[in-house]
Amino acid sequence: MPDPRVIETHQLTKRFGQFAAVDALDLAVRADHITGFLGRNGAGKSTTIKMLLSMTHPTSGTGTLLGERIDDPKQNCEARRNVAYVGEDKQLYGYMTVEELIRFTRSFYADWRPEVAKRLLSEYQLPPQRKVRALSKGMRTKLALLLALARKPQLLILDEPSEGLDPVAIEELLQTLVGAASEGTTIFFSSHQIAEVERIADRVCILDHGTLVEEFSLDELRENYRRITFGFSAKPPVDELRMPGIRRIRRADRQLSVLVSGNADAIAAEGRSMDAVSVDVVPMSLREVFLESVQAEA
Amino acid sequence: MLWYKAWRESRARFLLSAAALAAICVCFVWFRADTSGGISDQRLTYSVYIWRIIYKGYLRELFMILAILLGLGGLMRERDYRTASFTLGLPVRRWQLLATRTAVGLAEIVLLAMLPAFVVPALSPLIGQAYPTSQAWAFALLWATVGTLIFAMGLLASVLFTGEFTAPVVAFLGLVGYSFLANMPAIRRYLTDIHDVMSGMPNFTESTGLLTGPLPWSTLLAVLLATATLIGIGAGVTNRQDF
Repeated sequence: MPDPRVIETHQLTKRFGQFAAVDALDLAVRADHITGFLGRNGAGKSTTIKMLLSMTHPTSGTGTLLGERIDDPKQNCEARRNVAYVGEDKQLYGYMTVEELIRFTRSFYADWRPEVAKRLLSEYQLPPQRKVRALSKGMRTKLALLLALARKPQLLILDEPSEGLDPVAIEELLQTLVGAASEGTTIFFSSHQIAEVERIADRVCILDHGTLVEEFSLDELRENYRRITFGFSAKPPVDELRMPGIRRIRRADRQLSVLVSGNADAIAAEGRSMDAVSVDVVPMSLREVFLESVQAEA
Repeated sequence: MLWYKAWRESRARFLLSAAALAAICVCFVWFRADTSGGISDQRLTYSVYIWRIIYKGYLRELFMILAILLGLGGLMRERDYRTASFTLGLPVRRWQLLATRTAVGLAEIVLLAMLPAFVVPALSPLIGQAYPTSQAWAFALLWATVGTLIFAMGLLASVLFTGEFTAPVVAFLGLVGYSFLANMPAIRRYLTDIHDVMSGMPNFTESTGLLTGPLPWSTLLAVLLATATLIGIGAGVTNRQDF
């Protein structure tokens, strides 16, 4: 039985001088899911992905990609045979034509599917004879996706795939990713666009200041994540409210706003027992959880 | 296909370099009457003229600059062009990228070094002169060997420095600095100036205009070892770099 975790890191850290771009990151990405890697600009998403692909060396910590160690060049190279990567820039060799770049990329992968490449070339309306440097950013993104999907990678990693794309192109991109996932490819993509993560992801990891601050499935979000607002007639007793499921507590005047990831009924009951004069339990959207997570850490 | 990538990235530089070297060779041979006055007041024999203007002259300097330019490129340059992440996402090791680029670059250097050996002996009869083929090929060997070292200097500079002009300027300054050092009286006996090696010194006899005696094999071997060392350092640095 294959390892259900395609990506795993333990205390993975990358420092640039005194600045920790990624700070003791413990991350686990499960196979057969679309996992959104959410975070603000500069949260450490790209650095994490670059460490996974051995483009950047970790300062400390370990990790595996498809079971292969990321700090071992040979093992990481083996892992990359089964990983497709679409980088943030989507810059490809401008001096090659579309056709030449396809031929070049194909030579590295035994699992290349010429019929898929041909179909995507037609679907994406990419001109085979045009130099890559003459393509628009949207077309370059499509070409990068073609190069990734003409194989059948176990894992597709995308770094800010929708960056710089128009809404139509973003829609096509998301459809493509859903299609790839339905064919059995695990997808791990970084983004700071909550809407697109919410559209296609079934799991979400939220990164802030290089640290994983939340990890859940969207089903868990819908079923378990709640904001419970307690109103008190006097100063709220923050310290007394300690129960499993409580993620964060904010106090504002005579109110306590509690983000919970489960156990909401018991927490609400506990608040009532602490003489709360009002208790309001509402479901949370991904946007709210995200903002709560990264603002709390700010 | 890494060969193809390395070739495509250096193709324009190589072809322009080859065209420039060949064209200048042709001009120096064809317009000998006009150009010989510029290098000496005395009437030179044809062999001495060729040596002074090609193997010790402008063409040698041009070849050295072109060798530096052919050494440029690689992952640091790709980082500037933001294609490094695509390259590093491929299932290849960094040393493979560097090895391929080095192999293609060295092949190009050897071909450039051989150009005068093709052009000069072939063109000389057209102006009623003859240049010994064996001499031309001996110089080709000297140029090819030293060219690999200069190429390696360019390669190492491009591994260490980013920026369009930084690496070539650093490599060029390194070359000039080396020559300066090699010509200092206190160091001269320990360090051979690679300019002299390319010109066949001290085996060149100006009275005959020909190389005499065996080629400086130990010097050439030392040059190749220095080349390998620089490339090895480049590989080591590349493996540790973050992109």
